[in-house]
Amino acid sequence: MAAETLTKRWGMVIDQDRCIGCWTCAVGCKEINNEPLGFWWNRILTAAPGETTGESSAAVADPASDSIDVPHGTFPEVDLAYLPVACQHCEDAPCVKVCPVGATFRRDDGTVLVDYERCIGCRYCIAACPYGIRVFNWGDAKQPVDFTVGYGRDYRTADGRLVFTPDRPRGVVEKCTFCVERIDSGEQPFCVEVCPVGARVFGDLNDPESEVAQLVDDGGATQLLPDLGTDPRVFYLPVQRERNV
Amino acid sequence: MATRVETPGLRPVAFGRTGRIWLSLLGILVLWGLGAWIYQLTQGLVATGMRDVVSWGLYIFSFAFFVGLSAGGLIMASGAEVFGVKSLRPLASVGVLTAAACVLVAAMTIIPDLGKAQRLYEIFRYPNWSSPLVWDIVIIIVYFAFAVTDLAVMHRRRMAAPRRRRTLRVLAYVGLPAAVLLHSITAWIFGLQISRPWWNTALLAPLFVTSAILSGTALIALVALVANRFDRLELPRETWTALAGLMATAIAVDLFLVGSDYVTILWGNVPRERAALDIVLPGGSWQWLFWVEWVVGGLVPFVLLVTPRFRIRPALLALSSVLVMVGVYAFRIELVVGGMVKPLLHLPPGNAVGTYRLGQTSFQFDGIYHPTWVEYGIVTGLTAFLALLITVGYRWLRSVERAGAGA
Repeated sequence: MAAETLTKRWGMVIDQDRCIGCWTCAVGCKEINNEPLGFWWNRILTAAPGETTGESSAAVADPASDSIDVPHGTFPEVDLAYLPVACQHCEDAPCVKVCPVGATFRRDDGTVLVDYERCIGCRYCIAACPYGIRVFNWGDAKQPVDFTVGYGRDYRTADGRLVFTPDRPRGVVEKCTFCVERIDSGEQPFCVEVCPVGARVFGDLNDPESEVAQLVDDGGATQLLPDLGTDPRVFYLPVQRERNV
Repeated sequence: MATRVETPGLRPVAFGRTGRIWLSLLGILVLWGLGAWIYQLTQGLVATGMRDVVSWGLYIFSFAFFVGLSAGGLIMASGAEVFGVKSLRPLASVGVLTAAACVLVAAMTIIPDLGKAQRLYEIFRYPNWSSPLVWDIVIIIVYFAFAVTDLAVMHRRRMAAPRRRRTLRVLAYVGLPAAVLLHSITAWIFGLQISRPWWNTALLAPLFVTSAILSGTALIALVALVANRFDRLELPRETWTALAGLMATAIAVDLFLVGSDYVTILWGNVPRERAALDIVLPGGSWQWLFWVEWVVGGLVPFVLLVTPRFRIRPALLALSSVLVMVGVYAFRIELVVGGMVKPLLHLPPGNAVGTYRLGQTSFQFDGIYHPTWVEYGIVTGLTAFLALLITVGYRWLRSVERAGAGA
């Protein structure tokens, strides 16, 4: 028991029944991570009916509209659900497999990170990611304001790899880090902290007592595009689901 | 030794005015490409039309295309040695030369695509062996070294003829699997990706091998025709018919494989697969690719190449070769763009673009890609450099061969 809890295995649960599509987590993410203009590590997708969790990638058809917040169906039978998508921190991550230099790597705690100092900018990981969550520094980063907001300084892992910097180098790929600098010091990822409706739960999946592990174990939790076998560490609680209450 | 080269009549045909104009033109285009690359280095990849949704573009199409062009050489060399097609033997050395040049230029094409080209050495320092890109770099290096060795053996003056024959035979047997691997691994860069249903087919490696044979043979035919016109390179009639026959067969097999893929997707009607196919089929936003691949680069050259009356006419053979290469290039575009325009999670607002312009959304629902002058410039420069390498290399080969013949 003690040995099991030594290694953390971070995971997140997103309750789609609570999500109101307000984009606070996406904007909070941009702010804390100093994301330049045009970058979104975290997006809130308007989901298609019956496709609120993306249970099978085979079922992903064109949605009714290419605009957000458009309900599906005909009034009064309309249906609307939101699907917040950032890095899924897959157990078997395609991006980790394709990176030619190991700049994208998976830490023992399950966090998939990008080393800003090793990335050669080939963008193979962008091609390999099924979730479309990676963004590339095409040119010089433009910040919305000229003073420091958010985390605002470099962060290195224990073995010295630069996994966050507010001064984005041109020509490297970046993505959601599960707010590595925050979770390493015992805080919650910022999207979890700012969500006004408590739709996000973060914690250690290895700890059976944790809320996140219990929500996953309770059943009804699904992963995004599970038929691809990537085994994400982000779980979704669909709007309509079996509840063990 | 020296007197041999000076023997009248054995000297290469004077390069003349046409040759000088050709070389200067290529030189200017190479400089233009170099200039475009320097401009891109100052701006970053924002100077290209690529963004986060369609994140690979002209450089990757051209990389895959140049790799494919290199196939011709090995076919000429191994076709003669391994399969005993004697009529291809006169083209063996020109073939291997083009193979070396094409694979070198293909490797160079990756460099402008990198966001941090100055970190390229990291691939050798921290290679991640699960990445098909690392396998590809290894096979490219092996293949280039192989082609250069083959060329050296063909032209080493000190080597006795029987020993040279034996060595070339062994090299041909090694070269053939190496070539098949080169094209298969290049296909697997795409074909192994579960995130792109359009790429994720086991047919991709056979398709790359076939289209490589097709475009590689077309390039050799074109080089031979130019040499025939400007350098009095005389080839037996069987050689020309063999080239035409090989191309016609490769077109048929290539379109058969592509067609099988279409039928599988259409019949299955799985939305994520149909999404990609529908953009290239007639009526889709990239439908011109379909027409170029099936008609301009498929049906038209096929008819020209199988009709006995047409295939012996040099102008028509040249036209067929060019059309075939255009068709294969269209296939490369179709593959890369088709795989990227519609992301797997195709829900509004779409993916982030990665750049910002005031008043414009920073999301793309369907991927958009229009190459910029920078990309056209760099790829034109690289193509001109390839032509330059082949021209200069061919001149060198001929001078060595004629000197040898005078002995």
